[in-house]
Amino acid sequence: MTAPTLAAPAARSRRPLRVRALRVSRRGLLYAVLIAGGLLMMVPFFWMIVTSLKTRAEVFGSSPLSLPSGAHFENYANMWNAFPQGVTFGTFFGNSLKLALLCTAGQLVTSSMAAYAFAVIPFRGRGPLFGILLATLIIPVQVVLVPNFVLYRSLPHPFSASGNWIGTQEPLWVGAWLGGAFGTFLLRQFFLAIPRELADAARVDGANPWQIFTRIYVPLARPALATLAIFTFMWTWNDLLSPLIYLSALDQYTTTVGLAFFKGQFIGKWPEMMAGGLVSLLPMIILFVVAQKYFVRGIALSGLKG
Amino acid sequence: MTLLRRRPATGSVPGRGGGPVAAEVKWAWLFLAPTLIGLAILSAGPILATLGISLTEWDLLRAPEWVGLDNFGALVGDGRFLVALRNTTFYTVVSVPLGMVLALGLALALNQGLRGISWIRTSYFLPVVTSATAVGLVWAWIYAPSGGILNQVLVFLGLPPQKWISDPFWAMPSIILMSTWQGLGTSVIIFLAGLQGIPQEYHDAASVDGAGRWARLRNVTLPLLTPSIFFTGILSLIGAFQIFDQVYVLARPGKPTDATVTLVYFIYENGFKNFKMGYAAAASWILFLIVAVLTWVYFRSQRRWVHYQ
Repeated sequence: MTAPTLAAPAARSRRPLRVRALRVSRRGLLYAVLIAGGLLMMVPFFWMIVTSLKTRAEVFGSSPLSLPSGAHFENYANMWNAFPQGVTFGTFFGNSLKLALLCTAGQLVTSSMAAYAFAVIPFRGRGPLFGILLATLIIPVQVVLVPNFVLYRSLPHPFSASGNWIGTQEPLWVGAWLGGAFGTFLLRQFFLAIPRELADAARVDGANPWQIFTRIYVPLARPALATLAIFTFMWTWNDLLSPLIYLSALDQYTTTVGLAFFKGQFIGKWPEMMAGGLVSLLPMIILFVVAQKYFVRGIALSGLKG
Repeated sequence: MTLLRRRPATGSVPGRGGGPVAAEVKWAWLFLAPTLIGLAILSAGPILATLGISLTEWDLLRAPEWVGLDNFGALVGDGRFLVALRNTTFYTVVSVPLGMVLALGLALALNQGLRGISWIRTSYFLPVVTSATAVGLVWAWIYAPSGGILNQVLVFLGLPPQKWISDPFWAMPSIILMSTWQGLGTSVIIFLAGLQGIPQEYHDAASVDGAGRWARLRNVTLPLLTPSIFFTGILSLIGAFQIFDQVYVLARPGKPTDATVTLVYFIYENGFKNFKMGYAAAASWILFLIVAVLTWVYFRSQRRWVHYQ
């Protein structure tokens, strides 16, 4: 213990210049590697933008590094109007937006309610119930696809061609109003950190649990609610499998199913495809730029992504 | 992170027996009603329902017919299922360690306190928020046999072009490359959070004791980062077994060749294209068992190599 401690300053004083030079070059190397890696990560996005502005002839004729001869925004218009039956890409966009907002609202309301019960109310069986809820986090959603499909197929629907929920958008958002393990876990952690004295004081003033929940806990948990909102929005916006299974009519498609359909129909129309991909990415990219802090916090806390 | 620790007080009841709080207990069920319904009919309950359906033959048109374990027997003899199992395993075994090692290196580099790197950080995170469907389009274009950027680069370097997604050998590595690109940021963020949670005093103490950069990494940073590594590992593992979107988008038009069909694709194909509900449910249950057993084994291993501060 003593020997290295004594030796260290001596060694350090003997070679300050070399150490400094070494550190500068290591730093430079680190910068170079990180920047090169960062640019490499961006290559798909660059290429998406560049291709979306090229003509078809340019896409196949010229080198991939060449820039478009002009900004061919007609690719975007062609993509937008490439669908039959009066459907445009805007229809898909609207559907995705509607579903993402409905799911986000549902998760915020029902997860925060459950989180309040788990964090604040000492009811019997709380521990085991929370354990069961957490265990569902590791169940891949694909495992319950078949029973969920069967369930929605047995529910009557007044406006659907099949008479049940298959072929409607309902299966894609109603479940979000029935709680969620991720949101409940996230918000419970947050609620546990809120001093109990606040609730006690409100109780003395005659507030019931609903009032304590809506007036004290929900306003204080705004950062956690923002994180949950952003993640739910992202998951719904990016989801492919569920819309693929439940939707059948073109005018109900979400952007993901619309893009997959587009790729199957318009083979080789790369500029239009890139335009469609970019338009569908836009809301997520904007959300990410505006709320990067919440994304990072949410992932660091839970690690959950799409 | 607390999620994966054993100890935190999930069950502890704030000891305030009686009084006004006790009167609120009946409110708990009101707050929990939506969640309980969801658990019963959408998540926990259906696990059992899947098992029940897997013991039947059911095309949704006629009533389900009890067939016992026939579906499981048929799966074991179904070449496409075995291929799906093998592909998913290959995908997991390659992509999970690859993604974790890359992410660990990146997180260590990004954690060096270099100035002006916030935009670099962002460029690693951005793919995480994108949908596999939308970015799958550009990856399909990157891998396109004619005109694709990858083949153009190969030709420029004097190497033979490949058919990537439609080539049995390159198809899965192509999917792995795209997924690694997309998922890297998630692990980097978790590792960065873990790194920032390591007190500077530990590094200082090790330096004082004469530990060099490499020794500090091996003996201080990595052991203290094991909770994050454990956490990232479980998420990557569960995620890898669910791979579907990339396969669906890249392999269209047409069915994925045997080289890219995965477990979830197999479930989708049998359940929702061929409407063989019993068969798809049996495959789902095998997926569930694999994930459950792996998770269990992984959790058991935690005692041996994960150090909590």
